[in-house]
Amino acid sequence: MDTEDNGRRSFLKKAIFFLSGLIGAGLAVPSGIYFLSPIWKKTEEDWIELGPVGEIPKREPIKVDFVQRKKDGWVTVEGRSSAWVITADGQNFTVFDPHCTHLGCPYRWDASKKQFLCPCHNAAFGIDGEVLAGPPPRALDRFASKVVGGKLLIRPLSEKKEG
Amino acid sequence: MKKIVDWFDERIQTREIKETLFDRKIPKGVGWIYALGSASLFLLILQAVTGILLAMSYSAAPDHAYASVQYITEQIPMGAIIRGLHKWGASFMVIVVTLHMIRVYFMGAYKFPRELTWVLGVLIWLVVIGFGFTGYLLPWDQKGYWATMVGANLAGQAPFIGEAASKVLRGGEALGAITLTRFYAIHVLVLPASLLTLVGLHLFLVVRQGISAPPERDKGERS
Ligand code: FES
Repeated sequence: MDTEDNGRRSFLKKAIFFLSGLIGAGLAVPSGIYFLSPIWKKTEEDWIELGPVGEIPKREPIKVDFVQRKKDGWVTVEGRSSAWVITADGQNFTVFDPHCTHLGCPYRWDASKKQFLCPCHNAAFGIDGEVLAGPPPRALDRFASKVVGGKLLIRPLSEKKEG
Repeated sequence: MKKIVDWFDERIQTREIKETLFDRKIPKGVGWIYALGSASLFLLILQAVTGILLAMSYSAAPDHAYASVQYITEQIPMGAIIRGLHKWGASFMVIVVTLHMIRVYFMGAYKFPRELTWVLGVLIWLVVIGFGFTGYLLPWDQKGYWATMVGANLAGQAPFIGEAASKVLRGGEALGAITLTRFYAIHVLVLPASLLTLVGLHLFLVVRQGISAPPERDKGERS
């Protein structure tokens, strides 16, 4: 085999490797992004209207039920959910996730003790959500809330309060 | 790198495998049209990869099939590309495999001693058509639905077994939820298993026997 033939041979070999690599990468990159896309997916929760601000009593937590539409892939599921709403002045609202931060039991408001009590493992939270007694690792989780046009809106995505 | 290759070579003679697979003797006069078989193999891999990815976000239920396909194209990053590749790859697959078959036919490459390769090839061609037919229904759009209706009715025209055949295809009297799951199962389980087996045997024979030389003109006998 003369050198010219060898040169041609090794060039073609390189060309094959190069082109296969190119095509392979062209396929692997989109496939990888597609497969790994859940990593970058943001759970977007829409604001949900709870009702007129005036209907919420002051200085007394109230449990508000609402219907939540959740997008689950190509399916939209409607779920009933609720939240505890507290306001001191009728303008600034604190909204708590209705699940105990320990293991997720629903808790209730004890009007005489002025505490949230969780029946599962006897936890108690203050009106500000701080842990007063029991095993929960952190204060009650909050939902974002805002007032638009005299209506209270919440976004039922737990915002973990650090510390 | 060389060390790793050597490690495997010492144990399972990988160089020998590479030589038999890739350093085969190729007859004189072989040109581009001899690449149609390799092109089919490439398309097969493309369809398998994109198909697996699509199956991850597809729901074979009448209520959800269309929406899940929509979800793939509109919501998943690169979803439109993956689906597009699978869709176009499917058409190309049918075309390329058919061209491959035509080439083998007109060059007489199916003759002794390669009859078995030819028979397997014909079966592969049928499986590919099956893929196309079952896959067409899965997006559950109007086109797929009515094309499948036509297909099932065509099967119904066959003498004697027609009615039974169309019932088996549809999974019942009407084209509906059962048809969809049936087609899906055939598309992602039955056909891939068959294709893998057939292509494995087909390629084994190709490597074992080598490819046939292009036919030569009989010189002198032409007037
Ligand atoms: S779940 Fe509430 S205290 Fe354990």
